[in-house]
Amino acid sequence: MGKVIKYEKDNIDTDVIIPGQYLKLHDYDEIAKHAMEGIDPDFHSKVQKGDFLVAGRNFGCGSSREHAPIALSQCGIKGVIAVSFARIFYRNAVDGGFLLPIEVDEETYKKIGNGDQIEVDIGTNQIKNVTKNQTYAMKPFSEIVAKIISAGGLFKYKPD
Amino acid sequence: MAKTLFEKIWDSHKVDEIEGRTLIYIDRHMVHEVTSPQAFDGLRINKRKVRRPDLTFATMDHNVPTTNRSLPIVDQISATQIKTLEKNCQEFGIPLFGLDSPYQGIVHVIGPELGITLPGTTIVCGDSHTSTHGAFGAFALGIGTSDVEHVLATQCLVLDKPKTFEIRVDGKRKNSHAVTAKDIILSIIKKIGTAGGNGTVLEYRGQAISDLSMDERMTICNMSIEGGARAGLVAPDQTTFDYLRGRKYTPKNYDDLIESWKNTLKTDDNAKFDKSFIIDASQIAPQVSWGTNPAMTADVTESVPEPAEYARGDSSQETAAKNALAYMDLKPGTPLTDIQIDRVFIGSCTNARLQDLIEAASIVKGRKVSPKVKAMVVPGSQQVKMEAEKMDLDKIFKEANFEWRESGCSMCLGMNPDILSRGERCASTSNRNFEGRQGAGGRTHLVSPIMAAAAAITGHFVDVREWV
Ligand code: SF4
Repeated sequence: MGKVIKYEKDNIDTDVIIPGQYLKLHDYDEIAKHAMEGIDPDFHSKVQKGDFLVAGRNFGCGSSREHAPIALSQCGIKGVIAVSFARIFYRNAVDGGFLLPIEVDEETYKKIGNGDQIEVDIGTNQIKNVTKNQTYAMKPFSEIVAKIISAGGLFKYKPD
Repeated sequence: MAKTLFEKIWDSHKVDEIEGRTLIYIDRHMVHEVTSPQAFDGLRINKRKVRRPDLTFATMDHNVPTTNRSLPIVDQISATQIKTLEKNCQEFGIPLFGLDSPYQGIVHVIGPELGITLPGTTIVCGDSHTSTHGAFGAFALGIGTSDVEHVLATQCLVLDKPKTFEIRVDGKRKNSHAVTAKDIILSIIKKIGTAGGNGTVLEYRGQAISDLSMDERMTICNMSIEGGARAGLVAPDQTTFDYLRGRKYTPKNYDDLIESWKNTLKTDDNAKFDKSFIIDASQIAPQVSWGTNPAMTADVTESVPEPAEYARGDSSQETAAKNALAYMDLKPGTPLTDIQIDRVFIGSCTNARLQDLIEAASIVKGRKVSPKVKAMVVPGSQQVKMEAEKMDLDKIFKEANFEWRESGCSMCLGMNPDILSRGERCASTSNRNFEGRQGAGGRTHLVSPIMAAAAAITGHFVDVREWV
C-alpha cells in the first residue's frame, strides 16, 4: 500500500521532474533530492517508499533524461499513475526497471485523491483505493512490457 | 507493397523480432556528457566493451561553459562530468570532440556538420532532440541512459515499431525572410498539440518543405519531439546531397551512395500513412509562444488568449492555460507585441546554425540592443562560430551589444551559469518553454532567430514582416 501524491496537471515535463541544473549530479540520491522541484520543492520529503504519483495527460514529456524516472524512484515512488505518458519517459521507466508507468482513464484519474492510500495489482490490473473503498481498472501493460517489468528491467530480461 | 520512407529504413535495419518487438541496428551513436556516465559505469561493472567505437562519436555540450575556454571551469561538478566523459572516451576508444576541439558543439549541430549524419541511417543519442538528424532522411531518435548503455554494448536497440504520420506543408511562405522554419514547426505543433505525434514518426513533405535549406529542415525535425513524436524526417534530395558533400566523415564512395539513395530513400507514391495533417505555408505568420509548452503559441499579430477560448471546452486545457498565464505573468487580451522582454537568447540545436545567425545578424546590423535588454548569441558549434566570424557576424552582434559566446547548449536548458533569474522574461530561439527550463522562475517565449533579434532591438516583440 502506498499513499497518493497528486498533481492535477497535464504535460508535467522532465524539466519539472528534474530541473536541468541537477543533471550534472552523478549520485542518484543527490538527484532524488531535487525531484519535482519545478512544481513542488518539498516533494522529496513528502514521499515514503511505495508511494504513487498521480497526474494527468502526457506525463514526462520533454527530454530523454533518464534522471527523471530515476529521481522519482530513488525518492521512493513505486509508480506513476497518469492518463497518458510521453513515450521516452514510459520507455525509460520500464526498461530501466525504475517505476511502474500506469495508465488510467480520465474518470479514475479524477477519483483518486491526494493522500489516498492505494494498492496496485499488476496481475489483475486493478487499483484498490483503500481510503475510499473503491476499485478501478488500470490499462493492462502490453505482454512484453509486463515481462520486462517482472524481470526488473530490460537488462535483466531474457526473451524466452 | 508500397512503403513510406520510414518503413523502408526500419525494414532495412531489422536484425530480429523478439516477442513483437524489433531489434534495430544502429548506424551512428552520438554521446554527450550528461546522459552517458551511468551507461559507461554499467559497461565497466559488467566488463563489457563498446561494440563499435568507430560508429560512436562524443562531444560535450550541455554542461560546458560558453565563456572563455582557456580558463578552468569554475563549477567543480560540471568539471567532473566533463572529465568523466574524457576518461570514458579514452578508456573505450571513442572519438571525442572535446572543449579544445575545433569540432566541438551541440551534438545535433556537429553530427550533420561533420557528415556523421547520413541519409537512410539509424541514429541515436541520449537526448530527445536527436530527431534533428531526421532532416537528412535518417531515422533518428532520443533514448535514455539505459538504452545508451545497451547501444554501446550491442550497437542495437529494441524498439516497438512507431506509426507513420504525414505532415504536409503545401504552398509557399508569403515572406520567406520573415516567416522561418521555426514558424512552420511552431504552427504545426500549435495545431497537433504536444502529444499529437505520440508513438509516431513524422514525415514532413510538400512544396514548403522541399524549398527549405538543410539548416531550416533541421529546425523543423528538431522540434518533432515537442509534438510528442519519436522522430521526424524529410526525404533526402539534391539539397541534402549537396550539403553533405566534402564533410569530414562523408564516405569516400559518396557519388555511388547518392545514386542508390535517389532510388530508394523516398515514400512510394501509393504508400499509406497512419495519420496525415496538412497545413498551408502561405497562411503561416511569425510565431510567439505565450505559455509553458510549445503548443501554447500564437501569431505575432494576435493577443494572449483567454484560457477558455484557447481550451475550446477542454477543462484540463483551460486549467493548463490559466496556470501557464499565471506563471508567465500575462493577461488575456494583451497584444503579443506589447510584451516587454529582459533577455534574448539566440542559440540551441534548434536555431544556432550558420543560417540562423546570418538571418539574425541581418536584423541587428547597424542597430543597438535596447538598453533594458541583455542579449546573447551562442553559436551551435565551433565550426558555426568560425564560419560566422569569417563573415564578421560576430562584429555585427558585438557592436549592437550582444554577447558573442563559445558553442554549447547554454541557456537552452540552464545547466551551466547561463540562466534566467526568477521572473525574467526571455525571447529564446530554443525549443522548450517549460516552467523553469531556462532557470527557476524564468519565463521563456519561443521565437525564430530574426524575431528574437528584432525583440532585442526594440525590447518587445515585433512583427518582423514589417522589417524585411
Ligand atoms: S541545445 Fe537544448 S535541446 Fe539541444 S541538445 Fe542542447 S539542451 Fe538539448
